[in-house]
Amino acid sequence: MASGAVLLDFRDVHTHYGALHVLKGVSYEIREGEIVSLLGGNASGKSTTMKTVLGLVRPSEGTVSYRGQPIHALRTSEIVKRGIAPVPEGRRVFPRMTILENLEMGRYTRRAEAGGEEELDRVFGLFPVLKERRHQLAGTMSGGEQQMLAIGRALMTRPSLLCMDEPSMGLAPRLVEEVFDIIQAINRQGTTIFVIEQNVNMALSIAHRGYVLQMGEVVLSGTAAELLENPLIQKAYLGGA
Amino acid sequence: MTALVQRLGARAGLHRWRALPVSRRRRILTPVLLGIGLAFPLLSGNSGNVDAAANAFTYVLLALGLNIVVGFAGLLDLGYAAFFAIGAYGYGIAASGQLRPEWSSAWLPLAWLGQVSRLAVPGGPETVQFHFSFWPMLAVSAIICAIFGMLFGAPTLRLRGDYLAIVTLGFGEIVPVVARNWEGLTNGAQGLGGIHTPRLLGFDFGFSPYPYYFLGLGLVALAVVVSIRLQESRVGRAWMAIREDELAAGAMGVNHVHYKLLAFAMGAAVGGLAGTFYVAKLTTATPDMFTFPVSVMVLVMVVLGGVGSIRGVVLAALLIAFLQSVILQDLSEYVHVVGRLVGSDFLQHVELITSLELIFGLILVIMMIFRRQGLWPTARQVSALTRDQQAAAPGRGSAVRLSWARPAPAGAAGALLEIAGLRKSFGGVTAADDIAFTVRTGELVSVIGPNGSGKTTLFNLITGLIRPDAGSIRLEGHEIAGLPSHEIVARGVARTFQNIRLFNNLSVLENLLVGEHTRLEAGVLGAIFRPPRVRAEERRAFEGALEVLEVFGNRLLPRVDHPAYGLSYANRRRTEIARAIMTRPKLLLLDEPAAGMNPAETLELMDLIKALRGLGITVVLIEHKLDVVMDASDRIVVLDHGVKIAEGAPAHVRNDERVIEAYLGRRRRAA
Amino acid sequence: MSTLDVLLQQVVNGLALGMMYALLALGFTMVYGIIELINFSHFSVFMTGTFVGLGVLNLMGVTAVSKSLTGLALVGTLVALFAATMAATGLLGVRIERICLRPLRNVSGTAPMITTIGVAFILINIMLLYWGPQAQRFPQLLPNWRWNVGRAEITFKQVVLFVVGLVLMLALRHLVRSTTLGKAMRATAQDPDAARMMGIDVDRVVVLTFFLGSALAGAGSLFFGLYYGFTGYYIGYTTGLRAFTSAVLGGIGSITGAVLGGLFIGLTQSLGGQLVGVKWTDVIIFSILIIVMVFRPSGLLGSRAPQKA
Repeated sequence: MASGAVLLDFRDVHTHYGALHVLKGVSYEIREGEIVSLLGGNASGKSTTMKTVLGLVRPSEGTVSYRGQPIHALRTSEIVKRGIAPVPEGRRVFPRMTILENLEMGRYTRRAEAGGEEELDRVFGLFPVLKERRHQLAGTMSGGEQQMLAIGRALMTRPSLLCMDEPSMGLAPRLVEEVFDIIQAINRQGTTIFVIEQNVNMALSIAHRGYVLQMGEVVLSGTAAELLENPLIQKAYLGGA
Repeated sequence: MTALVQRLGARAGLHRWRALPVSRRRRILTPVLLGIGLAFPLLSGNSGNVDAAANAFTYVLLALGLNIVVGFAGLLDLGYAAFFAIGAYGYGIAASGQLRPEWSSAWLPLAWLGQVSRLAVPGGPETVQFHFSFWPMLAVSAIICAIFGMLFGAPTLRLRGDYLAIVTLGFGEIVPVVARNWEGLTNGAQGLGGIHTPRLLGFDFGFSPYPYYFLGLGLVALAVVVSIRLQESRVGRAWMAIREDELAAGAMGVNHVHYKLLAFAMGAAVGGLAGTFYVAKLTTATPDMFTFPVSVMVLVMVVLGGVGSIRGVVLAALLIAFLQSVILQDLSEYVHVVGRLVGSDFLQHVELITSLELIFGLILVIMMIFRRQGLWPTARQVSALTRDQQAAAPGRGSAVRLSWARPAPAGAAGALLEIAGLRKSFGGVTAADDIAFTVRTGELVSVIGPNGSGKTTLFNLITGLIRPDAGSIRLEGHEIAGLPSHEIVARGVARTFQNIRLFNNLSVLENLLVGEHTRLEAGVLGAIFRPPRVRAEERRAFEGALEVLEVFGNRLLPRVDHPAYGLSYANRRRTEIARAIMTRPKLLLLDEPAAGMNPAETLELMDLIKALRGLGITVVLIEHKLDVVMDASDRIVVLDHGVKIAEGAPAHVRNDERVIEAYLGRRRRAA
Repeated sequence: MSTLDVLLQQVVNGLALGMMYALLALGFTMVYGIIELINFSHFSVFMTGTFVGLGVLNLMGVTAVSKSLTGLALVGTLVALFAATMAATGLLGVRIERICLRPLRNVSGTAPMITTIGVAFILINIMLLYWGPQAQRFPQLLPNWRWNVGRAEITFKQVVLFVVGLVLMLALRHLVRSTTLGKAMRATAQDPDAARMMGIDVDRVVVLTFFLGSALAGAGSLFFGLYYGFTGYYIGYTTGLRAFTSAVLGGIGSITGAVLGGLFIGLTQSLGGQLVGVKWTDVIIFSILIIVMVFRPSGLLGSRAPQKA
């Protein structure tokens, strides 16, 4: 498929948590219109990657650029304003606010602009259950519903890059299917998506390209098709032949 | 600035001083300080100074007492003046004419001992006149305050730092209010008067400051010695462990309820001593002497000197006493002069003594922002090992020998740990769903599974950090589910944590010695008096620690005196594992011990773990480095979403369809 | 007056008093809700507010011996007084946060709270040094009108203060519930990292919270001055501890809780004073504080129980 311009360029990034060297020179790029998946087992450094993109963690070395502009030294609120919207690990919806209020918070960086109503309708279109329950407190919803809310919340600014951290975590298999269907649908509507996932098969079934992290380093990369057929993936996760 | 100090210090031989082992330094300092203390009254020539010094000793006692609670055990007590008050009023009531109960024969024994007298009252029944002797009252005050310390501390046991402080503040407020309003007992706001001064062998202390000076010096010396002894004992280590990381302390067998109450009791007792001494000297006690600002003043002394630092709080208390009685008076004079020069009415009349609290406030703010560890933080307790001791073990550590280990008899492997029907839910999430498996003595079992599968929850259930909703956990046939963690440790289960929970401000050696907590016995009295039995116990503990350290080759031995926060990541891991081994476990649970280690370090670690098995320590491992796990384990248990989905030999598990699916995810249905 | 009348009177008094505690508790609970800090200096800001109010009134030519005002003059003076004082205390709170608390934002444990104790002492003693230890008379702005409602007596002062307090609380409620900024504040209190990910500037939200909380303390401080007719450097302490108990009782972090807690403590103080004697009310209130903290740390309405360290 034709690849668009490079949207996110993560280059040679090293990150430390105190004495622990978590990311050891990680590089990847995300082009416009793609779904790119970052895969890896536990302790591979996947979540740290997401946090580095969002500015919650600063790299000790390397750069992160968005549309050619370096963002790794910016504050999270600045980064988000540039069009990157996160769907955090564990959803992180605001539990004592209603669905509607959560969505309103998603729109925060563009609250002064017109178009909020349309975005809200779009989100309700994608997730009818959110419309039904819009005055319900987010903390009382099930895991799957919270995941929908978290995604919907991220869509409220019509972001150019949607970053999703382990969307399948804690969800029953049927719901996982549903969520990945929706991710694909969103991508078809024009949003570039970066998915960090543990569930290799699900992620590669919708992604265009993928990278595999192991112990803080990229050990495999390629198109989804290439990766799915690669026997090394199983080794990267489970060890041994 | 620090460079200048360093150069001056070097000139004065400071680094040579620091190179001396702690015990040598102490042997030199003690007679010097004692000499100064004893000679001071003669040198000062002025009884006013001696009086001020005697008062200063009260401050020092208070600071030492609060240091036990705040500094050693990490419990922020904002109502410490309450114990000062109870000690003061306790003696005050017992040694003044405040209480006059009716005479009855029940009082005869005390009259024989000379503590009370029978008083004839014109026109009424005979009453009892109290004049309890100061010396036994010192002890009685301490005991009464210790009891109140535990009473006030008990409600705070499950509270977090801020809230704990507020509750203590509340008690600190109630005591002076009671003193002010219970007029029958305390004579209300007017306070007690006519309190008897101490008598020793017929000599009455009266109003001369000299006997109080020496008494105060003696009390301070006693408090310092007790503090030092406690700090360097099993009790002190338990306190500091609780202060650093209460959870990890529990996992090493420290009973936080027992030790927190003990800290409150000891701190309160010292406060009570201070109160009794102060009031005996002043011969009066009023409620205003024990209000919140007094508690804050003691806190300021501890914060200024260095929380936990005995020498720091002593120096800070002396400094503040000096500030109060000397400097501010003189400084006020200067400010008045300046005021006259400048023509400022305000400056001419200001009395800086009233701004003492302003200075306290400034000290608190400045110290907290710029130097939280205080001006004279605690000196290092642990000395580095001698060169011979450091070289005791070769590079990588090889033959693991532990004197207390008993290798399992070949072939007779019984069940060590039996888990059946284990269930635990948090909110709506099931973290453990009907888990069951058995671990036999001498095995190495690994628990694996994708993120969120419930592995750490399983460890938390086994070690008593959380209680299961249902199911049983049996260790050597005995049920341990639901027991508190320190008891489970005593029975032989030890663990390490996924994100390493060391006692960061303690040295490597001290961390290990906390691990030995359940295998030692010394209590408070043993700590203070150090009888031969306790000294032998400490020596054995030290040797036991060296033994375990040798297991890690030359990695940790050269660093026994280094604080844990400064170690490399791999060494922190090793220290945590060593600390767990110190508990002499039958069952060792290691939660991701190889995380963050490079391949060489990982191999070293796995060799060690395999060697531990040879010594009869059964190991259960959570790890994500699956090739390592596959290689070393006897059996593997696989969890997913809280359910055990596979169990068996590594080769079998690795190729199990369900396991592969759990890790990689189910293949997607055709869209 | 029969016992019932006396009690009824104390209820009226208690509610008015409770309004003051509620205003003070609100600022305190809002700060805790957002950065989990027990802010001791809050109550010294309150005390400082009374002196600021005194200064503002003096500037306007109203002194302790002036007559009370009515009609437009009263309304105008009140508006100017409240606006100026609340702005001043709000700014004071913001400066305290910036200088003393932000450097400690990432320090865990009790260091930040200890710092606020230090700030409280500094403020108290500055006031003491400047104004002296004696109580200062506060101008009696409000005329001394009284009415009999049933068998109890309600003063104009109580009505005005109650109404003003209610207005302020409703304004706060509207802000927090219905405006985007208020929602951002709630979001930050519930999950600061997620709030950052929404693009919310958490630092600014914290500053705003301090401003609002301290401004409300300023309003409460004027209540004190207008109601009691005096002020002194020491008032922050006793009133503060009662307001603190109100916040904890209602549920720390909960705005409704602070209001209800304040009213309850106000009632406790006046009824308790009547039934048990004024000198014991403090013991009662402290006991309530201790009991709530030990047995139900989340309070009546709070959702945020302080975690075990």
